[in-house]
Amino acid sequence: MSTNIEELNPGLKDLGRYEYGWHDTDSAGASAQRGLSQAVVDDIAERKSEPEWMRALRRKALGLFEKKPMPTWGSDLTGIDFHNIKYFVKSTEQQATSWEDLPEDIKNTYDKLGIPEAEKQRLVAGVAAQYESEVVYHQIREDLEEKGVIFVDTDSGLREHEDLFREYFGTVIPAGDNKFSALNTAVWSGGSFIYVPPGVHVDIPLQAYFRINTENMGQFERTLIIADEGSYVHYVEGCTAPIYKTDSLHSAVVEIVVKKNARVRYTTIQNWSNNVYNLVTKRATCAEGATMEWVDGNIGSKVTMKYPAVFLMGEHAKGETLSIAFAGEGQHQDAGSKMVHAAPNTSSNIVSKSVARGGGRTSYRGLVQVLEGATKSKANVVCDALLVDTISRSDTYPYVDVREDDVEMGHEATVSKVSDDQLFYLQSRGMSEEEAMAMIVRGFVEPIAKELPMEYALELNRLIELQMEGAVG
Amino acid sequence: MSLLTQNPGQQAHTHSADTMVPDQSRGERPRSFEVADFPMPTGREEEWRFTPVGDLGALLADEATGACLDWEESLPEGVTLGSMSVEEWRGLGLPRPADRPAAIAAARSGGVAVLDIPAEAELTEPVRIRLTGDSEQVVHGHLLVRVGRFARATVILEHAGTSRYAEQLTVTTEDGADLTLVTTQEWADDAQHLAQHDVVVGRDARVRHVAVTLGGEVVRVCTNATYAGTGGTFEGFGVYFSDAGQHLEHRLFVDHEAPHCRSNVEYKGALNGDTARAVWIGDVLIRAEAEGTDTYELNRNLLLSDGARADSVPNLEIETGEIAGAGHASTTGRFDDQHLFYLQSRGIPEDEARRLVVRGFFAAIVSRIGIPEVTERLMTAIEDELAAVSTQAGERA
Repeated sequence: MSTNIEELNPGLKDLGRYEYGWHDTDSAGASAQRGLSQAVVDDIAERKSEPEWMRALRRKALGLFEKKPMPTWGSDLTGIDFHNIKYFVKSTEQQATSWEDLPEDIKNTYDKLGIPEAEKQRLVAGVAAQYESEVVYHQIREDLEEKGVIFVDTDSGLREHEDLFREYFGTVIPAGDNKFSALNTAVWSGGSFIYVPPGVHVDIPLQAYFRINTENMGQFERTLIIADEGSYVHYVEGCTAPIYKTDSLHSAVVEIVVKKNARVRYTTIQNWSNNVYNLVTKRATCAEGATMEWVDGNIGSKVTMKYPAVFLMGEHAKGETLSIAFAGEGQHQDAGSKMVHAAPNTSSNIVSKSVARGGGRTSYRGLVQVLEGATKSKANVVCDALLVDTISRSDTYPYVDVREDDVEMGHEATVSKVSDDQLFYLQSRGMSEEEAMAMIVRGFVEPIAKELPMEYALELNRLIELQMEGAVG
Repeated sequence: MSLLTQNPGQQAHTHSADTMVPDQSRGERPRSFEVADFPMPTGREEEWRFTPVGDLGALLADEATGACLDWEESLPEGVTLGSMSVEEWRGLGLPRPADRPAAIAAARSGGVAVLDIPAEAELTEPVRIRLTGDSEQVVHGHLLVRVGRFARATVILEHAGTSRYAEQLTVTTEDGADLTLVTTQEWADDAQHLAQHDVVVGRDARVRHVAVTLGGEVVRVCTNATYAGTGGTFEGFGVYFSDAGQHLEHRLFVDHEAPHCRSNVEYKGALNGDTARAVWIGDVLIRAEAEGTDTYELNRNLLLSDGARADSVPNLEIETGEIAGAGHASTTGRFDDQHLFYLQSRGIPEDEARRLVVRGFFAAIVSRIGIPEVTERLMTAIEDELAAVSTQAGERA
């Protein structure tokens, strides 16, 4: 019987260790200013030659950011120094149209991330690669363009499709929603802008990689997805960031409008390095018969506070969140989901799985709200946590607010440790303890891993194996 | 204790990032004998955000009133009811008040009523204490129940009539004791009752705390359990029935700070009426030293009419991986149409079928209370509530 798994598995301490810890020489960031002021906000708008309404909105959001209090719950955020962050870093390169046009160091970065392979295999429909706040590489397959699908970076979205952009920007997440959405609205740059016309079904996932590459650079990307009536799109976002000495801030805003009978799936695997504060606001609105699915993986970062939300505004709308979190040493994954039922016959489902090790902390924090009038709604929340040692921490904070009688609401949580019985059984079948441990962890996350696109499922499996390294033969 | 937790009233207004550290565990919430350590709640605080703070002004005012409730007690042989001064009580090292009304009740009561159950006593009859009020005056109640080692006892604490009642109740059990404490809130429609119940579970002791809340305009019972040694068991059972205009709130905090202890919490409630409110908060903290803990919490709410609102928040914080098991579940909904259909298909009229389903919902928990007189009275009370529901339903139809 083992009481100390760490001792038995020296390799376990590498779980959560950051593998993609290289960074390129930093020439773009050196000139960018640190700190936040109206001059910085105006300068961002100026450099992008933005229309007046966006400038005004940025200024208003800055005021809101200064007024809004820090959250009084969740993680310890005292490590963020808002005065020591670069709010905008313009890429030194112009936007490239093909892979060959990319500068060598950027290509190297993406080579390590495996993008060219994905592109060559035509597994992805288009790659919007975010490098230092602006998209430098961007390609859309022609057939998508023919269908009228818009898939550009958000800055181009504003330039090229201003009317459409203005109609939806900030409607799902207003600037004043919370302190960090205000910050993002004030200084946003980069991100993806997607419009899928009525009835168009995008068969292959649209994919974007984001990377933070400048020390102390906040990444404030802004993503806006509009799925018109009866359409379908799957957007995949992956994040990796190199290791730096001081704390970085990542504060994105993702707005998704799912119109009548449309369906959107948004997949994220977040693997920031272990010094990044990842404070993200993600929200979708679902019209009648629409479906929104969040698949949310949190593996890296120092602190993540992320609660993808679905506002079910139309009858028979459906929201789903599959969330998976790994917390290693020094990490706090405070993730969950929010479902707001605002129409009759809506349904929501949240499945959360978390693994904590090495003194890390995982928290599930969720809210299911059934507003008056949302009769015959159904909501279900299941969260499971797996503890692999004695020093890690796992919390569950599920909030439920039901204001209708005609609803079904269920919540269930279990927290378990890897039992000696399970390990013994697998070892009796000839596996080493390390292999057995990794297999149990993989089995635990399987229900979510199988929902990921192929290459992400492979990546996730590899990440688990890396984190269990030494535990895996 | 951080700067922030000493000033909970200010936390929502902190602008700079420098001083902002949210509580990192449930155990960090302040506890103090001093009323001044608990600022007047605004309704934005985590522990007050579900409570109609605006209606509770009288109970949150730090003033002695000298008023008291009518006491009727029946004490089996060997059991004594005495008193001690507040200073003496403070010196006992018991859990401190955790919110403003409890701190006021403890400080302004003018003396602590002490119920002693001697060691190795085997009570065949329950201890009964019935408290009734007849005015809207604020009353501060302060009770201490001490159960000696290996004693077995049942204590029934009844509340009725009308009052504005702030209560601090502390229960201590020594090694191997076995206590069932039933607290019933069958207040009149205009009563307000804010209670803090602290339960200290001794080594290998078992405490079953049962809260039955049927009456009152605003009733808030905060039950906190801690363990003085290994092997203790805490069971928290609750039944509530909230009608129009009622706010019934139950908050539990089980603080596992000793190894190899168990806790099991199960609360079931029904809501009927336009403005019926029920709140259930179940916090469990398993500290790093509490290895081998086994805990489960369950809350079920049954909504019987439009406009009722139930909040159910089971929170679980676990600081060690060496646990025997931990989990919680919460459901809110109306009863299953299939149940109704089944019963109707057997020839039972809809009205009767509904009552059967609700009876069944409560019967599972009521039967676990294990005290026949309480069980019977409770089922009768639930029947009465249900009769009221079906009359209303009849009027609507």
